[in-house]
Amino acid sequence: MVSAAPKQSVVTKQTSEPNVKEKKPFMLSKGFAVGISITVTVIVAAMGAYYLIVENSDMLFMAQTQSFFTTNRIFLEECMHQPGGLISWAASFLTQFFYYPALGSAIMIALWVASMWLSKLAFKVRIEWMAVLALPTFCLLASMIDMGYWLYYLKQTGYWFYGTVGYLVCMLLLFFHSLFKKPMDRIITTILIAVTYPFFGWYTLLAQLYIAFISIANSIKSSKKVVETEESDGKKEKSLAYKISRPLIPFVLIAVIPLICYQLYPDIRLGDAWRIGLPEFANNDFISFYPTIPFVVLSIIPIIFPFLPKKQEMKGGMAWAVCLISIALLVASWVWVGKRNYQDYNYHAEMRMYRATEEQDWEKVLEEMSNLPGDASRQMVLTKNVALINTGQIGTKMFKYNNMGKRPDNGFDTLHVHMVQTAGSQLYYYHGKTNFASRWCIENSVEFGYDFDNLKLLSRCALVNGEMDVAKKYLNILKTSLFHREWAERLLPITEKPELIKNYHEFDNVRTLYNHMGTTLDGDNGLVEMYLLNYFSNTMNKDDKLLQEVTLLYSLVQKDIKLFWPHFFLYAKLHDKEKMPVHYQEAALLYGKLEPQTVNIEGMPFDEQVTESYEGFQQLSQSLLQTGMKPEEVGKAMKDTYGDTFFWFYFFCRNLYTY
Amino acid sequence: MNFRTLISIVALAVIMTACNHPTIPTNAQQESRLPRIYPDYTEVTIPCNICPLNFAVQEGESEVVAKFTYPGGENLYGEEQNVLIDEEDWQNMLKASIGKSIQVEVYTKKGNDWKAFKPFNIYVAEDSIDSYISYRVIQPSYVAYERLSINQRNLTNFEEREIYNNMSVSTEETGQCINCHSYQNFKTDNMLFHMRQGFGGTMLVVNGELRKIDLKTDETLSAGVYPAWHPTKNLIAFSTNKTGQSFHTKDLNKIEVQDTESDLILYDVDKNEVSIISELDDELEVFPTWSPDGKKLYFCSAHFIYKNDSISKETEMIQRYKEVKYNLYCADFNPDTKEFSNVEMIYNAADSLNQSVTLPRVSPDGRYLLFAQAEFGCFHVWHADADIYMMDLKTMQVQKMDAVNSPRSESYPTWSSNGRWIMVDSRRDDGNYTRPYIAYFDKQGKAHKPFAVPQKDPNFYTFFLRSFNRPEFMVEPVTITPQTFTKKAKEEAVKAKFVQ
Repeated sequence: MVSAAPKQSVVTKQTSEPNVKEKKPFMLSKGFAVGISITVTVIVAAMGAYYLIVENSDMLFMAQTQSFFTTNRIFLEECMHQPGGLISWAASFLTQFFYYPALGSAIMIALWVASMWLSKLAFKVRIEWMAVLALPTFCLLASMIDMGYWLYYLKQTGYWFYGTVGYLVCMLLLFFHSLFKKPMDRIITTILIAVTYPFFGWYTLLAQLYIAFISIANSIKSSKKVVETEESDGKKEKSLAYKISRPLIPFVLIAVIPLICYQLYPDIRLGDAWRIGLPEFANNDFISFYPTIPFVVLSIIPIIFPFLPKKQEMKGGMAWAVCLISIALLVASWVWVGKRNYQDYNYHAEMRMYRATEEQDWEKVLEEMSNLPGDASRQMVLTKNVALINTGQIGTKMFKYNNMGKRPDNGFDTLHVHMVQTAGSQLYYYHGKTNFASRWCIENSVEFGYDFDNLKLLSRCALVNGEMDVAKKYLNILKTSLFHREWAERLLPITEKPELIKNYHEFDNVRTLYNHMGTTLDGDNGLVEMYLLNYFSNTMNKDDKLLQEVTLLYSLVQKDIKLFWPHFFLYAKLHDKEKMPVHYQEAALLYGKLEPQTVNIEGMPFDEQVTESYEGFQQLSQSLLQTGMKPEEVGKAMKDTYGDTFFWFYFFCRNLYTY
Repeated sequence: MNFRTLISIVALAVIMTACNHPTIPTNAQQESRLPRIYPDYTEVTIPCNICPLNFAVQEGESEVVAKFTYPGGENLYGEEQNVLIDEEDWQNMLKASIGKSIQVEVYTKKGNDWKAFKPFNIYVAEDSIDSYISYRVIQPSYVAYERLSINQRNLTNFEEREIYNNMSVSTEETGQCINCHSYQNFKTDNMLFHMRQGFGGTMLVVNGELRKIDLKTDETLSAGVYPAWHPTKNLIAFSTNKTGQSFHTKDLNKIEVQDTESDLILYDVDKNEVSIISELDDELEVFPTWSPDGKKLYFCSAHFIYKNDSISKETEMIQRYKEVKYNLYCADFNPDTKEFSNVEMIYNAADSLNQSVTLPRVSPDGRYLLFAQAEFGCFHVWHADADIYMMDLKTMQVQKMDAVNSPRSESYPTWSSNGRWIMVDSRRDDGNYTRPYIAYFDKQGKAHKPFAVPQKDPNFYTFFLRSFNRPEFMVEPVTITPQTFTKKAKEEAVKAKFVQ
């Protein structure tokens, strides 16, 4: 290794006409070049901060709950089961910091800036070209914000920081390689870098690829000009064998190293050996290429770095070109990243509601629903109902919020989203169905690995079930995390003294539902809402007011008149002398009018407001229908006035998409 | 800092760590109870060739020292809360303690105060254990499957290796589920395991040669499921099953796995032929196992008559799952003619005890038969009341193996090749994750306290979120590489022929 930085190459022969007086090229001043590089760095940081913290902090928090890290060696060993395992491990560690989205984002941006500047050193690119060097970081940014619902279907351990850490490592490997000048040293370091494949996987292969292109670029440049290359350490580079072998060796290593490692890793497929670490977005029979695009672009872009003109190669006008190219690249990147930012309102609202539910901040859940600009997804409706159940308002406010069923849609592909993967366990848990909640935590962990969220839900379910030993196991694992430690430590005393659970009021309602529920052998076929709907609407429970009201709620959603009446009368009996909530009155009034032969409602003391509302609803709907409007149009026209009633829900809330 | 400084600091740290030997506290306050250690190795009997029994002390203390006293010396260990035993020391201790015991004294420190707990013994049997076991590593079974592997573990050290991993062939839609591995006479040159779904088939190793067979024929219910290699002939008894899974809404057993139909078949490895052993209409036959001389086939069977034609068998089974109770049967077998005769119920658990017997295994000397018993059903790994029982085939007396059982599920009993060790799948730790436990079975037919298969990291079982299913002893490792299995798995399976 040459310890001192090499002197800039010196042109020993002029290849241009000796008699022509050379025009002095316009060069960017050093200060201006530094200015460009700093501006680019600031733009990278600003764009990162905007898209991560401002636009996607809810998503980043969710990303953190959907990932996992423990200091225990077992997790490291599990990561190392695949090439690139060390990146997975480090990335999983860093993902924890998204617990505070701004903190995680700051770390991520710092790593992007570091890798950008490192790439400058590794490829020996002039700082004027910083906008080009920034392109991979825009790819990394895009990869964070463009995946939509794939967030719930990620299989790569540590996905969120994987690309960032991987690219940084790749640049570090190249920088290490660039420290060596002698040909033999460079060949040895190339081989040494290849040996890191088990630790860095795909990014080791990328480093090899870039080494090959650095060699090719150097060969081209040295053949164009007779230059004393840096590599020849002051001597002219003449060996043809060396020129050929330099780029050839990395290519051979790229071909061979994964093949060798395939023999050491029983759980990788031969065809995948060359792309382990490049995320695949696959679910059952469906593979989406769209979210992989930033990673492919990220991998290709650095190939051009070695070919960027050096100072001595910059002719007149080139400096202007650098400025224009930089501006064009930054604008294009901004447009591209902006276009890839997945901005579906429900997607983000679901995450905010999920977090609020996890924290039992029911007001926040309801606030999200109040602020909804369009139709809700069924997950949001169910979560809203959970909030209303827990605040005792289900009978009075259930239809005050949107109850539609907009399909979760990625837009860019046809990923079929299932609620069991997005919020099924949480919804089951808050319905007291802890066995089903645990089941889906584990089913999902089989496919996507354990994460903090399902470990927390598993802990809660085990505590409610009275399975203290397994609760302790999950809580002890959570205790090793950076940001869920306190949560686990707070609950651990229950595992030693189960009776303490009574002091933890967050379990009250779930325990009530769980304790009063019967046991049966069952199955949900992966459809959360259908199962809850069928189970609760067909359950009669006289023992507990809360559970009984949940059964009444689902009989309302079921829109089944015969199912409704027994639940209604039981509710009335259990809540003797209490005011009947408005929605139950609305249902009773409507069903009594629709099927007077089933139940005679003549003597029922309906609120005046309810009867007036019903009459107004009937008159308006009839008059609108008489104008020739279609029922859907009538529904739309009446939504503002009667959208908050059971009447409207019964007639116009139809074809809901549950999943 | 330069590179030389860095190396000096690292070297110094290593030296300082190496110098940090535990010492016995002189002023420890004596406790009259045993220390809480995990895994629980107090008063267990262990093989003379087992790997170190590393354990964690769960007294909530900051520092731990354990003194191991054995004939000829003593050793001290302790790293924070863990007792990690040097492998070479351990082998010396074992060698010196064969037929005797190692006494362990545990000291813990809280603040500046030391406590000394009541010492316990680890008894070292003269009998060795088979060097290898294999098991399926799987999440507590539900419906989804991915990242399944069959692993082999060297019990004399901590080495674990995958035999086959389902991810190596396919994932997603074409993903495969692997199950039920089996060996002939504890050796691996004749072995098998089964793969379902993508690239499904039975992977069969015959005299070291690998084959992939499709055992499903038009005349049989399914491909082979629960296997049993004949001890002397190239024959394998299988059950064929139509299996379903359903979920308890509240019961802590959580899952029921039920067969709506099941039969027994015999596969002739040399002729690639499948024939029926038993396919009675009202019987659910399952879990075949051979006597060591190969002249008897033991199996379980539940008498079950479907009563309601208006619903599917699956629905009726879900409604009546508690009525399914298996008895233990034995049939004579002539290995030369391959004929079965004299089918006899040897243990009526269903009618007389209202219980259900599964997973029978005969000891290598043919004297004892282990099985798992619970109130109903066939999938006792999910039945908390499941316990291990033993039948003395000489007297036909059955006894519950109290020493081996726990309040939680014990299932899948199996014998070591010398008959001195039994291994069971137990959920005693937390009720949800199965762990392999080994117990000494002495010459008097008495089982001793079981111990968890030792792990290098004593907290391994705490942090490991998968189960160890179907543990089996092996006298040698599987030498076929996972890649070779993978290559074969991708090939088309050879269809077995059905013969009457």
